[in-house]
Amino acid sequence: MQVYSTPKAIKENSNFTFCPGCDHGLAIKTIAHVIDELNIRENTIAVASSGCSVFLYNFLDVDCIESPHGRACAVATGVKRAHKAQGNNKFVFTYQGDGDFASIGLAESMHSALRGENITAICINNTNYGMTGGQLGPTTAMGQITTTSQNGRNREYHGFPIKTAEQIAQCEGTCFSARVALYDIKNIINTKNTIKKAFEYQNQNLGFSFVEILSSCPTNWKLSPKESHEKIKTELSQIFPLGVLKDVKND
Amino acid sequence: MSYIVLDKNKCKSCYLCTDVCPKELIKKSDEIGKTGEFIVKFEDKENQCLGCSQCAIMCPEIAITEVHKE
Ligand SMILES: Cc1ncc(C[n+]2csc(CCOP(=O)(O)OP(=O)(O)O)c2C)c(N)n1
Ligand code: SF4
Ligand code: SF4
Repeated sequence: MQVYSTPKAIKENSNFTFCPGCDHGLAIKTIAHVIDELNIRENTIAVASSGCSVFLYNFLDVDCIESPHGRACAVATGVKRAHKAQGNNKFVFTYQGDGDFASIGLAESMHSALRGENITAICINNTNYGMTGGQLGPTTAMGQITTTSQNGRNREYHGFPIKTAEQIAQCEGTCFSARVALYDIKNIINTKNTIKKAFEYQNQNLGFSFVEILSSCPTNWKLSPKESHEKIKTELSQIFPLGVLKDVKND
Repeated sequence: MSYIVLDKNKCKSCYLCTDVCPKELIKKSDEIGKTGEFIVKFEDKENQCLGCSQCAIMCPEIAITEVHKE
């Protein structure tokens, strides 16, 4: 009996173009499994962003629209509302890096959450600007060395990192906010279930749903894929604790 | 007999699958893949594969495309 197969929501013969061991691949694969399980491939519109996340439209077999850097939630708002005005209830989600979602796009992201926009945002937090060479981003941890913080992030010069899932949970229009990771099988399965929940909340018109995924960037971290997962497990998940930060159904 | 299907053209030699197989059936091969590193091979002479799918769940490239369990 076949117990595992490539998700149908992944385009046939597509090859991920991420660096070896990058969690972007795992994240997109996990989203594809959820799209399969909920059987929403025909009704989904994905909004890609700028950064390594941009390649989403090459791999996911759903309708995709590309947005300018940081503007994915604004574009998703337009897509969702325009279709709704036509009487179509499309399923709309964004796929963004942490730099995209929480730095250049912070205003668009947070106001979408405040408006309770009925979309889902997925944010890949790899604690740096991956595509452009590993610069310090809004989520870079204190002390973390990047190409633009050679002596490590410090309070005097760079200030503190943002805890995105906590901030989004604070917005009244948010129905669901959670932080997950992909460093082992248990967490990958939990990530799948969490994304599924966020997607289902959108289908129930509950408001803005958000999933932050602690992810690896082995190339810019200058670590092996295995060491990168170890770093997320032992260091990053201490700074950015995993779990559900808001769930309107349980609060 | 349980087994996996490995698409050699997709493997990027990250070796994440080698760590999760409870029976250690996936190992570095002597074949060079698209990243210039040795890709992995699945070898199960004693039919030990459990069909647990952990390697497939872990692979970021979807290079392990199918898992069959008996
Ligand atoms: C308006 C604008 N400014 C700057 C850039 C350059 N740029 C492209 S990707 C990127 C950073 C992306 O980082 P992040 O969102 O964390 O995603 P990652 O690549 O790490 O997945 C930047 C600054 C751009 N494309 N557009
Ligand atoms: S630069 Fe980092 S985030 Fe981008 S594909 Fe490579 S490992 Fe992934
Ligand atoms: S996890 Fe996938 S890409 Fe990485 S070594 Fe194994 S088969 Fe290759």
